[in-house]
Amino acid sequence: MSNLSDLLEKLGLARKGGVDNAGWGRTLVVAIVSFIYFLPVLMIIFTAFKPQDAALSVPPTLSPTSLFGLIPDQYVFTPTLENFGSVFSRVMTAGGQPEPTGFDRFFFNSIVISSVSVLLALVIGTLASYGFSRYPLKGNDTYLFIILTTRMLPAIVVIIPVILMFRVVGLSGSYLGIIMLYTAFNLAFTIWMMKSFFDELSTDVEDAARIDGSSETKVFFKICLPQVVAGLAATFVFGLILTWNEFLFALLLTGVDTRTVPVAMNQAVSSGGRGTDWTLLASIETLFLIPVFLVTFFLQGHLLRGVTFGTVKR
Amino acid sequence: MTVRTSPTPISFFAPSADNWKLAIFVGVIATLLATLALPAAAAFWVVGVAAALIAAAFVVNAYRRRYYGGLLVAPAIAVLFVMNIFPLLWSLGLSFFAYQSNQQSIRFVGLQNYVKVLTNDLAAEANWYALINTAMFVVFTVSAQMIVGFLLAMLFAKQFPLRRYLLILVLTPMMLSVVASGVFFTYYYDPTFGILSYVMNNLTGQQFILMDNKVGAVAGIVFADAWMWSPFVMLLVLAGLVSVPKYLYEAAAIDRVSAWRQFWTITFPYIRGLLMLALLFRTIEAFKLADLVILLTKGGNDTMTISYHLIRIANEQNKTSEGAAISYVMLFMVIVLTNLYLYLANRRSQGT
Amino acid sequence: MTVMTKMKAFATAAGFAATLMVGGASMASAEEVTLTMAVPDWPPTRIMKKFFDEQYKPKSGNTVKLDVDFIPWPDFYTRVNASLTSGEQKYNFIVSDSQWLGAFVEGGYFRKINDLLEADPDFMATFKSIHPNPLNAYSTYPHKSENYYGFPQFPDVLVNFARADILCHEEEQKNFQAKYGKKLPCTGEELDAMTWDDFRNVGEFFMRKKGDMLAGKPAEDDFYGIAYQAGKGYDFSSMQINGFIWQMGGNTWDETQAPKGQAEGVVNSPEAVKALEKYLDMIQFMPPVAKTGTMDIFKSDELFREGKVAMNIDWIGLGEASLDPKTSKVSDKLVFGQMPGTMGPDGKMIRWSNIGGQPFVLTTWTTDAQIKEAVEFVKWWLSPEIQHQFAAGGGQSAIKSVYEDPKYVTYRPWNRAWAPQLDWQKDVWHVPQFFELLTQQQDQFDLAITGKQDAKTTLDNIAKFQQNLLKEAGLIE
Repeated sequence: MSNLSDLLEKLGLARKGGVDNAGWGRTLVVAIVSFIYFLPVLMIIFTAFKPQDAALSVPPTLSPTSLFGLIPDQYVFTPTLENFGSVFSRVMTAGGQPEPTGFDRFFFNSIVISSVSVLLALVIGTLASYGFSRYPLKGNDTYLFIILTTRMLPAIVVIIPVILMFRVVGLSGSYLGIIMLYTAFNLAFTIWMMKSFFDELSTDVEDAARIDGSSETKVFFKICLPQVVAGLAATFVFGLILTWNEFLFALLLTGVDTRTVPVAMNQAVSSGGRGTDWTLLASIETLFLIPVFLVTFFLQGHLLRGVTFGTVKR
Repeated sequence: MTVRTSPTPISFFAPSADNWKLAIFVGVIATLLATLALPAAAAFWVVGVAAALIAAAFVVNAYRRRYYGGLLVAPAIAVLFVMNIFPLLWSLGLSFFAYQSNQQSIRFVGLQNYVKVLTNDLAAEANWYALINTAMFVVFTVSAQMIVGFLLAMLFAKQFPLRRYLLILVLTPMMLSVVASGVFFTYYYDPTFGILSYVMNNLTGQQFILMDNKVGAVAGIVFADAWMWSPFVMLLVLAGLVSVPKYLYEAAAIDRVSAWRQFWTITFPYIRGLLMLALLFRTIEAFKLADLVILLTKGGNDTMTISYHLIRIANEQNKTSEGAAISYVMLFMVIVLTNLYLYLANRRSQGT
Repeated sequence: MTVMTKMKAFATAAGFAATLMVGGASMASAEEVTLTMAVPDWPPTRIMKKFFDEQYKPKSGNTVKLDVDFIPWPDFYTRVNASLTSGEQKYNFIVSDSQWLGAFVEGGYFRKINDLLEADPDFMATFKSIHPNPLNAYSTYPHKSENYYGFPQFPDVLVNFARADILCHEEEQKNFQAKYGKKLPCTGEELDAMTWDDFRNVGEFFMRKKGDMLAGKPAEDDFYGIAYQAGKGYDFSSMQINGFIWQMGGNTWDETQAPKGQAEGVVNSPEAVKALEKYLDMIQFMPPVAKTGTMDIFKSDELFREGKVAMNIDWIGLGEASLDPKTSKVSDKLVFGQMPGTMGPDGKMIRWSNIGGQPFVLTTWTTDAQIKEAVEFVKWWLSPEIQHQFAAGGGQSAIKSVYEDPKYVTYRPWNRAWAPQLDWQKDVWHVPQFFELLTQQQDQFDLAITGKQDAKTTLDNIAKFQQNLLKEAGLIE
């Protein structure tokens, strides 16, 4: 019996009682709210499974199944997997053979570029935020504010000098170039976010450790870092989401070989001499959603654990 | 705080690796000579090497004197400087010139671009008009996101079965690419094919068109934007909410403190910092709102934003200098606003 | 170092480094020549690449590679513009809208090809076999001068897409005859003979609510008579409105008359106002999305393919999808004709229309070795044999011997409307101020389309803006 409840708990299906456990009543309310909130995404995912001629049918088709007759037939479509195939290979010219679209490469590029640059930003940014938090420089707030200003202008303002610079140093169209750019792009948020987490920590424990003879490095790695895992997870997720979907830099600074999915996705917005290819766009987006969705899901535990050591400054 | 060894002053001419003053001096001289004497491409590399030299001297200096702050911050500053601050300075410089990126000529005009974008009767009107619209979008989208995000966070603050699985559903909207969600919102709002008009037509018996007037168009854009980014606010608030120590609530329960007071005295202090961060970042992003406008209305029905206007000026029409001037006017406004936030936040935190 | 000197040094450095790199590249590749090309991602360019890979054998014996960067249409201008203006010097060939010529020629990016034409009589002959209207539109700057720049990649005109199943239905025919005293157009020839007044009648006649009878059956959904572009984006109303204005005796600002030609008084002439009023009057017979200002060329095409309208005026470039049963619910029920015209006082039809399609051009940093191969490639591309294959694969050709060949009309159902319409194509605004002119005009037209402003005010505003802008630019005295 206890095994079963342990298992349920692990699956998130049940929780031990306590002051902060709201029980199934809350689940019901939140489930309804979440479902409504999720609906527009669900419609995109469903569109990915629609046959092409059902994409724009009137009335809009809403479900792949009639749910045992619950949903009238006119709102039901017959699901197909064909669209996912056409993301990677489809006919590009009238009467031609299916050709590879290069999307395998685009997905690979997106994964490499986003993950490397977000991790890099996380490392550099966390160090910096720790510095800003624990060893304030002269004019600390000014530095922080200048860092923030780098996020304030639309990308279009800085793009021309960046293109030029990339051309001069030969970074145009390379992985390194776009990764460095995204790293910078993520730094402002990473630093501000992580600094607010470091600021929340009580310094008592750290000072005690120093008195015991711990080195600064040890204080950082053994004492501070473990307390901000939630912050790291949150920052990583936000950074990943923003980078994953970044469009303008990717459009202008990647080459044929380093192009990312958000740029290539527009193939489906104006597709092969017509307007939006709804089912294709939906399938690209659905596939493109999976990696960030999974990462977020697995980091969720950390996101919600909060500050674990209970040494929060009050 | 660590104890710092007081720096021993070094002689200006000592060829030591940490003599950053000498490094600057050498760097500036080398730069000047290079720009005057060498061809531009070579000069570019000399300048680069000089900059690296100065940076290295700074780092060695910081390391030898145990300026941990400087050392920790240096890599971030370096990356930001090269990739962001330098291009920003470049465009700031351009805003004082008459320059179009598709023409070869360049001419110094001082503040004329700023005068033009703020007062010229042809150019300024569109700018002010776009700025006012932007202000409206900032107010609507940010407040909608803060309210919805906060309410969602409250819903998820407690433990309940299936919480993990429901939370990820709510987080998904912000993972979508803006292009895909924007394009699909045009579909949801479409008067012929869309679900919204389908439902409304059946309810009212009349053709419903959401986007044919300003109110509808603004509502459509705000809804899509708020829907996408409320989860961002929610996640930040939630991170604050779960970090409130439980014993505080238990103590409050014993003292029979009202729920309202509990919120203000216990919960709010924990989420204030994160709320402020969310507000700050959402405001900055809202000022840059352009993609959704382009996808949903193309700026029609009086929904032009400054960021979209800027894309037209700086990119489509290649009026680089004018665009730079507009963007710095915009930057000035965002800075004033964010400073106001930070000032209020600091004052309140000192007040409590 | 001040920002200014830094900037200057940097810009020169960029230019210098660029020269070095390109120079080096050409030296290294005497045997193997790579031509890079920026193209929008759609069938006409995919076909070009396919033909090249499968069939092209350079006469020089060199190995020639065509490196094509397929850029999605919605971002094509942004990408190309940023690449050109930043001095990236990445592409040798660029597919360009005809109206971008001025800006990019003045910027020093597009290469004049007169010397290449003069050096190669074959090339000149091929070039001169292009119909003069597309040639002027796609290749000349200043417009209609003797300075040549581009070659047709995909030439395009507006045609009338129509639903034969509905138009030819007996009952509809009878009712239409009774109501308007005229035969409801049903065949291609009858479509060709339509005036805008006939088009309006079709629009009015086919407005049906869900459940009303339509071609002998109750309509499954609301049905609308007509559609044409009336969107705020890019040029998605100007390209249609220009045709109206020219047909009804008005004019747009004429760049070939610069600096004598005026905008004020011409752009907002009473004829132009009447033409715009006529254009606006028909929006009531279109699907409701037209009222939101987002009825662009893609939306009207989508509505047509989904079977919501009886007639749609759109570019041939979008036609392929309407014939494909996978993407079109009306694929087997179509008839195509010329865009409606206006009956002149002499009883002859006036058919002016704004040309569409794109040329491709050479860039100025293309090296001599590359240019030699590029010219051979262009000659091959414009050769009748390849142009026939292109047309058979869904392209269009502006080469006289090709489109006059009786085979040509058999390739696609709209090809019958192609040759006669070529004679009536005009183009606007090759000037560098193109995007400013366009943006302001589209904004103003949008106000009129969404009912916020009348035709007179709209054209007055446009004329005033153009007069100011072009005066400042020295294009109006």
